Amino acid sequence: MNGWLLGSTAFLASAVEAVEALTIVLAVGVTRSWRSALSGAGWALATLAAIVIVLGPAIVAYLPFAALKTAIGIFLLLFGLAWLRKAILRYSGRKALRDETAMYVRQLSVLGGAAGAAGLPGPDRLGFITAYNAVLLEGLEVALIVLTFGASSALALRWASLGAALAAIVVVGLGFALRVPLRRVPENALKFTVGIMLTSFGTFWSGEGLGVVWWRGDWSLPLIAAAFAAISGATVAAARRAPLAARSAA
Amino acid sequence: MKLAAIWAFIAGDSKRAPLGVALAVALIFALERWAPQAGAWIGALFVALIGAALVAGVFERAD
Repeated sequence: MNGWLLGSTAFLASAVEAVEALTIVLAVGVTRSWRSALSGAGWALATLAAIVIVLGPAIVAYLPFAALKTAIGIFLLLFGLAWLRKAILRYSGRKALRDETAMYVRQLSVLGGAAGAAGLPGPDRLGFITAYNAVLLEGLEVALIVLTFGASSALALRWASLGAALAAIVVVGLGFALRVPLRRVPENALKFTVGIMLTSFGTFWSGEGLGVVWWRGDWSLPLIAAAFAAISGATVAAARRAPLAARSAA
Repeated sequence: MKLAAIWAFIAGDSKRAPLGVALAVALIFALERWAPQAGAWIGALFVALIGAALVAGVFERAD
């Protein structure tokens, strides 16, 4: 497996999740306190580490390799196709572009409104729970990506972990340095690229698990990614021209 | 957590795309075992089927 390709895919996929989690942590920090935001995020990361340490090796150790590759491949395929489909729908104008700034303002409003509401948890607890849930949820997505990418070998696990760790460091570092939501990150472009990469890895691995002999071994991966990029680009163009009667449910 | 929520978390809100993946996987599984001349063409067919599943998911109607 091409380590750089694997690491960069994990980096991009993790960066998307980190941006979403950081948006909420920033909102909690500004409206409540940085203490509750950071402690919520910290406890979520600790919970996440425990889940990965307990479940990660068990998943890899006790499943037959071909079945594992097929299952992981299908999971990545479904995950990647869902991302890619959403990005295509957004590019073609059939779904509103995701707006991190709007999400941030909405989060501020929800947290601010809850401050005086009777019966709700106190400010610190609410902030803690919000940050904890956001980081745990997004972190679980990153853990799934790292574990599935790393399941093929110890080297793959190192590359995937490195990619995810770098993404977390880069996104969190940038976010806290700027103290604003990462509204300039072109999230849809990131999601489009990651969707293609996840779908390509998913196709490659599930194919291998099913017994497919790829025509250029691991080097088929860039070719598969190029094929999906071409299909996606053509689909965006076709969706822009297609009548709105075929509008998606998304 | 409900199964439907887990499913939505993994596969999103499309019905056709996961169905297309399931059909593609079943077909490739069958071809790998029973096709008279299994070869690289099966991989190319798999990529094409996944691409078709994606396109079907993009153009699926609202129910």
